[in-house]
Amino acid sequence: MSADAVLWVREVTKTFGQVRAVDRLSFAVARGTITGLLGRNGAGKTTTLRMINGIFLPDAGVIELLGAADAAAVRDRIGYLPEERGLYRKMRVLDQLLFLAEIKGQRPAVARVRAEAWLKRFDLWDKRAGKLEELSKGNQQKVQLIGALLHDPEVVILDEPMSGLDPINVVLVRNILKELKAEGRTILLSTHMMGEAEKLVDEIVLIHEGRAVLAGELEQVRASFGSNTVHLVFEGDGAFLAGLPGVAAARVDTNAAELRLAPGADAQAVLTAAVAKVRISRFEIAAPSLEEIFIDRVGAGAPERRPAEVTV
Amino acid sequence: MSKALVVLKREYVEVVRKKSFIIMTLLFPFLMAALMFVPTLLMMKGIQGKRVVVVDGTGKLQDAFGTHPTDVPPASRPASKAGRELAKQAEGPQAAKVAELTTEYVAASGDAKSAAQPYLDRLRENDDTRARLDGVLVIPSDAFTDASAKLVYYSRAASDIMTQERLAGMVNHALARGRLAGRGIDAADADRLLKRLDLESVQLSKSGKEKKGGELSFLVGFIFAALLLFPTMIHGQEVMRGIVQEKTERVIEILISSMPSFDLLSGKVAGLALVGLTQVGAWLAMGGAMAVYSGGAAMVAGVNVFQYVDLRVIPWFFVFFLLGYLTFVCIYAVGGAISNSEKEAQQFMGPIMMVAMVPWMLAFPILQNPESTLATVLSLIPVFTPITMFMRIIVSEPPMWQVGLSIALSVATIYVFFWMTAKIFRIGILSYGKRPSPAELWRWLKVA
Repeated sequence: MSADAVLWVREVTKTFGQVRAVDRLSFAVARGTITGLLGRNGAGKTTTLRMINGIFLPDAGVIELLGAADAAAVRDRIGYLPEERGLYRKMRVLDQLLFLAEIKGQRPAVARVRAEAWLKRFDLWDKRAGKLEELSKGNQQKVQLIGALLHDPEVVILDEPMSGLDPINVVLVRNILKELKAEGRTILLSTHMMGEAEKLVDEIVLIHEGRAVLAGELEQVRASFGSNTVHLVFEGDGAFLAGLPGVAAARVDTNAAELRLAPGADAQAVLTAAVAKVRISRFEIAAPSLEEIFIDRVGAGAPERRPAEVTV
Repeated sequence: MSKALVVLKREYVEVVRKKSFIIMTLLFPFLMAALMFVPTLLMMKGIQGKRVVVVDGTGKLQDAFGTHPTDVPPASRPASKAGRELAKQAEGPQAAKVAELTTEYVAASGDAKSAAQPYLDRLRENDDTRARLDGVLVIPSDAFTDASAKLVYYSRAASDIMTQERLAGMVNHALARGRLAGRGIDAADADRLLKRLDLESVQLSKSGKEKKGGELSFLVGFIFAALLLFPTMIHGQEVMRGIVQEKTERVIEILISSMPSFDLLSGKVAGLALVGLTQVGAWLAMGGAMAVYSGGAAMVAGVNVFQYVDLRVIPWFFVFFLLGYLTFVCIYAVGGAISNSEKEAQQFMGPIMMVAMVPWMLAFPILQNPESTLATVLSLIPVFTPITMFMRIIVSEPPMWQVGLSIALSVATIYVFFWMTAKIFRIGILSYGKRPSPAELWRWLKVA
């Protein structure tokens, strides 16, 4: 990781009662990148982001954000979007945004101008005088995102930013995040939606049971898994694909499949066998998808960890 | 702008803009007036129309009871404590009307009880077609001779203490006259001998000022205690609910990651203090306006509250209001910080409210004996201090050292609660999950 990291997480541990939510986790986030914190539900993503924001203190380990050991020292330079809605239900949209900007040290006059621009961009300007609870879930999420950006933060930390958004808004938010990156800002986001992460992030940190199991630049990570994966798009019943000779592992969906080949297996032979039974509209030999890597590393059989007594 | 100020502004604006706040602020004075004066009015009305049949077993007391409205001699003023209290409230411009007690005299030499029977039947049946009867007073035939004889008053409502007291007074006055007449003293002399004097209460202050109408200070004390208490109860719960909501809605994550918990808490508490001040300020202004411009409205009830308030207590009022208010706002904040749901928070509301109510429940003895040990001790126990001390200030002049001490104690209490809240806030507010045990709470206080 480059020395120009805006965030260092070193050997950080956090325990709730009997549950070790984060276990000696270490990773770094480079300036000007979009980093995805990936993991299953309960993997420790939200707890990690809360510790980075100074909401929880780690039991052990060090977090260094923008060169400060204490998040409090730099909090006005951080934008944070919590996992669940973190807004006042009864407060009017514009008032709420101005409040969020002001507690981050933004001057009211500036906040107002910026809030107007953002609300218009998100198609929410007409709703500025309404109470938050009158908005749809997706619109509330957009307000929350504006709240995280109004004070012009250098580092933007987003916990599941796409949750509740429709496809149009997902594209809108994705474009906005890319713009923020182009402006030189650093973005750290958590998600368990691999497809989305793949389209957005430069770097990944995959965590499982509180530990980083994989980290690095997305393309490098994928390349390290080798070009031994066949991506197929087809019409027909593809159930037989998993049983073809030379296929070490397979994930078959309704009209698509991802087949990891055994060492030395011939991709062409697989194609020939497939063509015999289904209509192939796409065939590609490439690195595995993030989803495939995720499942490979985290294991579909691994139990989901969601302790009953604490929400992590 | 400091972040505490931003929080203060939000808390204040969000509460003051609420419809419930506006309605409560506008309606409360009227509700209060209704609560205080309607029962009094009803009671006075009740006294006006009493019709009582007096069955006189001695047959000698005709003079004291006519069929005409009786002009009640001073001697017939209620003698018991409870009766005096009631009479006191009834006095004022309407006092004259209180005298309208109609008695119907029936001489019954011999067996008064059987002579009274038809009237008792009438009383029992409560027949609408005939003149309404409220009570039957039976004077035994041996009333003059037997010192242990009992006057018996039958009525449908045994709780009508005032009428009972008045009747007892009238009979005893008449009996005394009769006994004196038996010793050869004529009626006019007897009346002079039996003449009772009225008592007027005057409150003396160290400044040498005399204040009449001390008995009304009692009412004033009650009203002001209510003014101190109600905003605390209404908005204190608001603090608790607000904190719990911020927790359940996760706004708290944004707040905590944006400012020190101390700023957050002080902004919140100060914002709510301002809300409370706005509200009581509005109430006092409304009360003042009512007293000045439509004194008549208050006069209808026979009471003009502001006439009896030494305006110098107003600054004290604000001092003790703030102290009492902040104490409970901080207590409620602790409750909110350690609760995870409104339901959990609800459990704290009852006990906290009970504690807040203690001085109010003891208002009667405190206002009656403001220098008593009870009042003095209570006014120096933190938490109870503000309301108790203010009640004492209204009806008496407590020593300055006690006033000073009570203020110092209150400030210290608020400081301790605030400090505790800030600590618990920082940790407790983020501990989603089980409510902390007392042991855990204690650990939190020691850490952080």
